[in-house]
Amino acid sequence: MEQPIRRAAPWLATAARLLLGGVFLVAGALKLPDPAAAARAVRAYQLLPESLVDVTAFGLPVIEIAVGLALLAGVFVRTAAVLSAVMLAGYVAAIAAAWARGLQIDCGCFGGGGTVAAGQTAYRGEIARDAALLLVALALARWPASRFSLGGADPAPGRTEYRSAQ
Amino acid sequence: MPSSAKREAARQRIAAQRAAEAAARAKAQRRRRTVVGGVVAAVVLVVALVVVVVVQSNRTSTSASAAVPANTSDGGYAFTVGDADAKVTLDLYEDFQCPNCKALEDSAGQTVDQLVQAGTAKVRYHGMAFLDTSRNDQYSTRALNAAAAVASTAGTEAYSRFHDLLFAHQPEEGGTGLTDDQLVTYAQQAGASGATVEQAIRDGEYEDWTKKATEQASKDGVTGTPAVFVDGKQLTAADQLTAAGISAAVQAAAG
Repeated sequence: MEQPIRRAAPWLATAARLLLGGVFLVAGALKLPDPAAAARAVRAYQLLPESLVDVTAFGLPVIEIAVGLALLAGVFVRTAAVLSAVMLAGYVAAIAAAWARGLQIDCGCFGGGGTVAAGQTAYRGEIARDAALLLVALALARWPASRFSLGGADPAPGRTEYRSAQ
Repeated sequence: MPSSAKREAARQRIAAQRAAEAAARAKAQRRRRTVVGGVVAAVVLVVALVVVVVVQSNRTSTSASAAVPANTSDGGYAFTVGDADAKVTLDLYEDFQCPNCKALEDSAGQTVDQLVQAGTAKVRYHGMAFLDTSRNDQYSTRALNAAAAVASTAGTEAYSRFHDLLFAHQPEEGGTGLTDDQLVTYAQQAGASGATVEQAIRDGEYEDWTKKATEQASKDGVTGTPAVFVDGKQLTAADQLTAAGISAAVQAAAG
């Protein structure tokens, strides 16, 4: 890596952590107050059997919040980035599947019951947003070393030398 | 080689070896900390998952002994108006707080009534309650509960009249909703009066039922209101959700 890039990379990773972590924390937290709506949002995709709807609707926000907190704090960054990428890839696929089948739903990404007024779907924007976040997550999984992180489990090459010299 | 130089070389070798051992120990320690931290984090996550799933399941579960209104049809969550032998079945899914439902009722409500009176179609009203806010004092739920109370005591014709009254006087979205007093008054106007109805409205007697009704609508594939089905086929195009669109779809289904 060029010197300036090497110096900027940890800061870019910090920005990626804060962006992804913030989005996941908010997205997860907004789904907790109304569990019935969360279940309707999952059901609206018509992808899961009824027996898995509730557990998905209630469990997924916990994982989103956990991943968000880990990214914000900077612990287990690579694991959290990989988990976010997996979730985001799933969301992109699910929204695309809804779109392809002509369903009229809201993605329910930030809470809500998946309901949308007729003709008010926003699949294009939802997929674009999640795909962009997916790229950020993948980049963070590849280069997880960042500033202002509590973990330091994945320090930058430069920092490893610094640490072992102590 | 002088012995002092040998000793110096030996010292350096030993120092290097010790440094390497110390680095290896530190590395092993770091790895152990990461593993322990990872296991702890995983356990905490699993516990949180189980606790949240259980808590949310309890919050959404409804009592099996919850009151259900009388005069329902279609599995207990719809109120049917019109000739039972009518050729076409029209399913309407609405939330009393939904502005688009009011718009549809304003434009197509009369047409639907005419189709029912002509015996061409029967209408199954499916109430939903998902637009509750603390500001409107859970108006969606209170309104549907009141409608169930009206149907339960005065029949589905009264439900239909109450339904029309509530849409005609729909409170603005983001507003404070109608009060229980107003709901009682409209119930009387619709033909459901008396202490039983009033108490059911004020006590939210069918609140659990409104939750189940909303869930059932979701299971029926409804992801937005108003949802209109003609003989089980949903009208999705915007130009179908009009008086002319519904009329044409019903006439086509009637053959």
